[in-house]
Amino acid sequence: MNTGPYSDKKVQQYIESEFVPVKSQCFWDKRTEAMKQFNISWTPTLIVHDATGKEHHRIVGFVPTDDFLAHLKLGKGKMFFDRFRFDEAIKELTSAMEQHPNAGPAAETIFYLGVAKYWKAHDPKGLRWAYDTLTSRFPQSEWARRAGPYKQISL
Amino acid sequence: MTEINWEKAFQKAIEMAEKSHKPIFQDFWFDG
Repeated sequence: MNTGPYSDKKVQQYIESEFVPVKSQCFWDKRTEAMKQFNISWTPTLIVHDATGKEHHRIVGFVPTDDFLAHLKLGKGKMFFDRFRFDEAIKELTSAMEQHPNAGPAAETIFYLGVAKYWKAHDPKGLRWAYDTLTSRFPQSEWARRAGPYKQISL
Repeated sequence: MTEINWEKAFQKAIEMAEKSHKPIFQDFWFDG
């Protein structure tokens, strides 16, 4: 049954067009092999894997629709990022940032987008962009602090 | 209305993902 964020048409279309979706039922009295394999200790747990089954992003707990879509795009972006496919990572992360600017994972998305920009061109301006954007838009976030060292980069 | 066609077996999902070049989205849920 499609409930919660899954009842939203945009979510349904995005999952169907961009992912192979898998639902794994959990039982706390007798943990399944999948629960053991992926170290599941709370639900919902949502995981984005690449086509080989390698994990790239995990969400634990309920997330509303806008956060949910932003997490899916961030997860896909991180999958490309982890595989050094920076053009595709930048495309996904930019889409997440622009279409879900205030969603829960927005700050993390900006951080990874800045690093992907750096890797693509080997230009530290991407890192400074991440610092400037995070300190402007999400100054209290952990991700702004993680970008702190990039303050030293001159433009 | 679009329905999500959920796969139940992770290994089957990997086979489908390898063919389609799509990533896998896995939802661990509890009916309680």
